[in-house]
Amino acid sequence: MKVKDLENLNNEGVDSLSSKERRRFLQFGLSITGVFLGGSIFSLTSALKAQGALRGGNIPVTDFPYSPHYTMVIRQNHCIDCERCLEACRSTNSVPAHGYRTTILERSVPIAQDQRERIFMPILCNHCNNPPCVRVCPTQATYKDETNGIVRMKPEKCIGCKTCMAACPYNARYFNEENRAIDKCDFCYDTKLKESGGKITACAAACPANVRIFGDLTDPESDAYKLIHSPDKVVWVLRPETDTLPNVFYMNA
Amino acid sequence: MISYLKTNTLSSTSMNQVLIFVGLALISGFGLSFGIHSLLVGHDQTFGTSREVPWGILVSPYVFFACLSTGLCIVSSLGQVFGIDTFRPIVPRTVFLALITMATGLMCITLELESPWRVGFYALLSPHQSSNIWWKTTIYSLYLIFMLFNFMSLALKKKKRAKIFAIIALVTVTMGNLNMNSDMELLGARGFWSENYMPLYFLSLSTLTGCAAILLFSWLGKVFGGQILNIEDHRALKSTGKLFMVLLLGILYFTGVKVMGGFFPQFTKNPEAMSLLVQGGFALNFWIGEVALAVLIPLGLILVTRGTNSNILAIAGFSCLLGVFVLFYDLVIVGQLIPHYYQYNVVDLPKYYTYNPSLHEIMITTGAIFFFLAAFVLGEILFKKTYSS
Repeated sequence: MKVKDLENLNNEGVDSLSSKERRRFLQFGLSITGVFLGGSIFSLTSALKAQGALRGGNIPVTDFPYSPHYTMVIRQNHCIDCERCLEACRSTNSVPAHGYRTTILERSVPIAQDQRERIFMPILCNHCNNPPCVRVCPTQATYKDETNGIVRMKPEKCIGCKTCMAACPYNARYFNEENRAIDKCDFCYDTKLKESGGKITACAAACPANVRIFGDLTDPESDAYKLIHSPDKVVWVLRPETDTLPNVFYMNA
Repeated sequence: MISYLKTNTLSSTSMNQVLIFVGLALISGFGLSFGIHSLLVGHDQTFGTSREVPWGILVSPYVFFACLSTGLCIVSSLGQVFGIDTFRPIVPRTVFLALITMATGLMCITLELESPWRVGFYALLSPHQSSNIWWKTTIYSLYLIFMLFNFMSLALKKKKRAKIFAIIALVTVTMGNLNMNSDMELLGARGFWSENYMPLYFLSLSTLTGCAAILLFSWLGKVFGGQILNIEDHRALKSTGKLFMVLLLGILYFTGVKVMGGFFPQFTKNPEAMSLLVQGGFALNFWIGEVALAVLIPLGLILVTRGTNSNILAIAGFSCLLGVFVLFYDLVIVGQLIPHYYQYNVVDLPKYYTYNPSLHEIMITTGAIFFFLAAFVLGEILFKKTYSS
């Protein structure tokens, strides 16, 4: 149907809508709002369930499985690609020159005809709640920390099969030739969190534009919690179709 | 055409046969020495793999030899487990081939690991039951032991015991084969091969390669030993040839499904990878290797000769093995070439990642193939009596 045809139609008004249809419409709206506003929903429900919610399905909301439940919010429109986060990560975690734990991708997104927007998108391990890398590891060299949900490594157990690298949808892992094991972001658990009581990661501390907000999803006072639960902001995750339930969230704020 | 005479005499081992074995073993050792070098200096110095494409060509011979061994075990079970008399004459050689192919496959995957010395320790002390890789390696290692006992029982003419080990090995290797599929499917996060038909495809491919190897190596064994095929051997090969032809038709169907996926995205779960395979940079591999060498040429040869000429059957088997090796190379590599963030309009991100096998990887693969050939020749020298019984 063309726009002109639509304009010629009579307005039926809302009086003729049945209460059943109204309810369905409201449920649909609430579902969409829930999907975009609830950080816990992104973290705990699968992509399929989220898609189901978009179609008017039910979203089971449960407690966060970890305490503290570490997360990172990336305010990507603040990123200027200064790469201080990358340098901080390298120096703090002794990352060799041949690898990286985090990097910044440069995107060129079409916004109108012949117009593109340049966006810098920092990426790192998403510390997924359903991590394919953990599932495939034959020796439990990589594992999900039962306390805080960080996907960590025990390098001494790594046999170098690189299946986790092949399984990771985020290209978040590399093989460290120095200790002959896979290396990845652990939210600076070994180098900062464990020693300083779990406050902030090296990359978040180094960022001059507050792009990377590290925090705890179970702590309402945490900046990350507040951002994810801001009702006026849209939150999203990378590659939701892979059903990994990431704990790194993206937003423009 | 060749004549079929019943022969009871076995020729003694000649110096030429020993020299052939030594030559093959030396080439194998030379190739595998590149693997030792890679272990010492690190794969980043010697392999063509990268962060984006972590699995290289060495995974292909592993998958190839493991599937080949599965197929050989299945075909050998027709004679020794299911009691089909026609297949009995080829059982001992087939079991030995199954044994050495699996050993070759496991050797390949060991050399593909960056830190293989940790396997023995942590695969036992820290096993991960949710990992298909763990299950697969464990299952294949157990299978190797069962096949060893199976062959030893055959050599000692303990038929009942041989049958028991054959049954256990058959069940074990089928489990391993299904794990192989799950293994790849789990990597679906990167557009790998998660098509619904994959379990059946893997099992059919395995049996196909098993038949192809029997046709080729039974013939080669006779040529190597200076013997003439007797009537029973010929009958067994003819039956294997028939099974081979049926499986070729099955694989032709699956190849058709791939072609559909390559041209029409709605027929596949990984349209980018399928398109790359069928009409992109891997099209030559696909059409020459997977279509012509693996299926059409063997099928044509068998149809033209009606599957009665053992020489032609051997050539068909060789062509098929060559094609399936290319198929497994494509299977391992193509899925990895789809960039992780391809849908995010990332600046300077290539449409496809690239991977080229390095000299070291090629030499290790060559070494592994020659290891298998040397082991085959050794088997022909040492187990003549077992094979002819």
